[in-house]
Amino acid sequence: MMILEARDLASGYGELQILWDVSLNLQQGRLTTVVGSNGAGKTTLLRTLMGLLKPWKGTISFDGRDVTRLSPHEKAELGMILIPEGRQLFTDMTVLENLEMGATPKRARPKMEENLEKVFELFPRLKERMHQKAGTLSGGEQQMLAIGRGIMGDPLLLMLDEPSLGLAPLLVIELFDIIRKLKEAGLTMLLVEQNVHLALAVSDYAYVLSQGRIEIEGEAAVVRQMDEVREAYLGL
Amino acid sequence: MDVLLPSLVDGLLIGFVYGLAAMGLTLIFGVMDVVNLSHGALIVLGMFGVYLLYTALGLPPYVGLFIMLIAGILLGMALYGIAIHPLLGGPHLSTLLSTFAVSMVIIGVGTALFTSTPRNIDFSLGAVQVGNIRLLGTRVVAAFVAIIMAVGLYVFMYRTHTGKSIRAVANNRDAAELVGIPSRRILALSFGLGTMLAMVSGGLIATLFPFNILSGGVYELKSFVICVLGGMGNPTGALLGGLILGLIEGFVPVFMPVGWTPVIEFTLFVIILLVRPSGLLGAR
Repeated sequence: MMILEARDLASGYGELQILWDVSLNLQQGRLTTVVGSNGAGKTTLLRTLMGLLKPWKGTISFDGRDVTRLSPHEKAELGMILIPEGRQLFTDMTVLENLEMGATPKRARPKMEENLEKVFELFPRLKERMHQKAGTLSGGEQQMLAIGRGIMGDPLLLMLDEPSLGLAPLLVIELFDIIRKLKEAGLTMLLVEQNVHLALAVSDYAYVLSQGRIEIEGEAAVVRQMDEVREAYLGL
Repeated sequence: MDVLLPSLVDGLLIGFVYGLAAMGLTLIFGVMDVVNLSHGALIVLGMFGVYLLYTALGLPPYVGLFIMLIAGILLGMALYGIAIHPLLGGPHLSTLLSTFAVSMVIIGVGTALFTSTPRNIDFSLGAVQVGNIRLLGTRVVAAFVAIIMAVGLYVFMYRTHTGKSIRAVANNRDAAELVGIPSRRILALSFGLGTMLAMVSGGLIATLFPFNILSGGVYELKSFVICVLGGMGNPTGALLGGLILGLIEGFVPVFMPVGWTPVIEFTLFVIILLVRPSGLLGAR
């Protein structure tokens, strides 16, 4: 079953078109990745899917309904949760308040306690720092909090924008372990990454975005073996 | 000493009301980066609201105050839709002009309806004697109401989901949208709360001093001084700034002609801007 279908999306900033006829199908229960080099339009794609940018053309449907024109908070209410690039935490608020804010959607409210336990089990460090301001956390802890805040929204689809950006190599490995755990728990995810190697290793299905167009798509294991991908993105 | 202490206590009581008014200004600035130039006109609206309900309907000022509280939130939310939302994200000058226009409309219509004759709410609660200090009942109640409102606002902002949502939107509007907070509604509510604080403090001031339709300017300037003292966007700072201003107003007349009060207040304003532009408690 498809949880999200995007058809022929075009969007950009001002006069500048970034995305050209991008179509995506995200299957429920699977981890899909969109990889591509810097400036390929990955973040623009996520911003457009989420409604932070209005699509110029094309349609987006989520969980069987048309969501093309909905604003981000309406999409969050339906279970589409984006963990944005650069974490975008509420830095003046405490770790616990950030997590509480994550549980704003009505569908997430009754499950708040349960999800909070889940987050603290996944990231025990956040529990220790519960009453600390989010802005005082280290980069790695901030990324944990960003993911935790996303989980608090009880997502039907969790989208992660460059979660490994700015993390030390050891933390990147830790992060991908977390992503794998969430996948094994049955969470549907869309992972956008510059770290092509790790993204392809952890995902089920992959899209390669280049200059705003989908260039390649297929099972991640197959895409990983393609010569053009190995040369252009994996440096092999 | 016999004069100084009562005068300082009096100033302190009024300072709570000034602080409350300034909280309205600073809340709006902190959440949406808008300097609300209709603040003074909204204070006057609160004054006249309480005054008219008292003289025309015979409602006690504190009942009138409660009505101003509700009316303030509703009016503020409507003003947000008309004068703020369409201009948000544009240059600062556009919301300065639009809120100034709101101020001109309120004062213009007010002058046409009520002229600029001074008004006075002829209402007294007597006085209480604490040691050798005699305090006017209306001032004690005004300070008490201001404290209750300030505490109420604090509890709302830190203990309720909606209050926390306001802080989240102030902190990072895009991120707030992403977690499911309807940021437009939250901004409208914040403007409503700021307006409510202005109108309620106006209503309180009307029980203390005579006023006319043009009195808003003075109190708006006081609010600006207070906000800068406490740090723009910092409600706790606003309350502290209000108390400092109240103390100055209690202190100065004991030693020099009362006309010197604004001179001292604005000298302090300039000094703070030069030495500590983020205010005593730091800006948001």
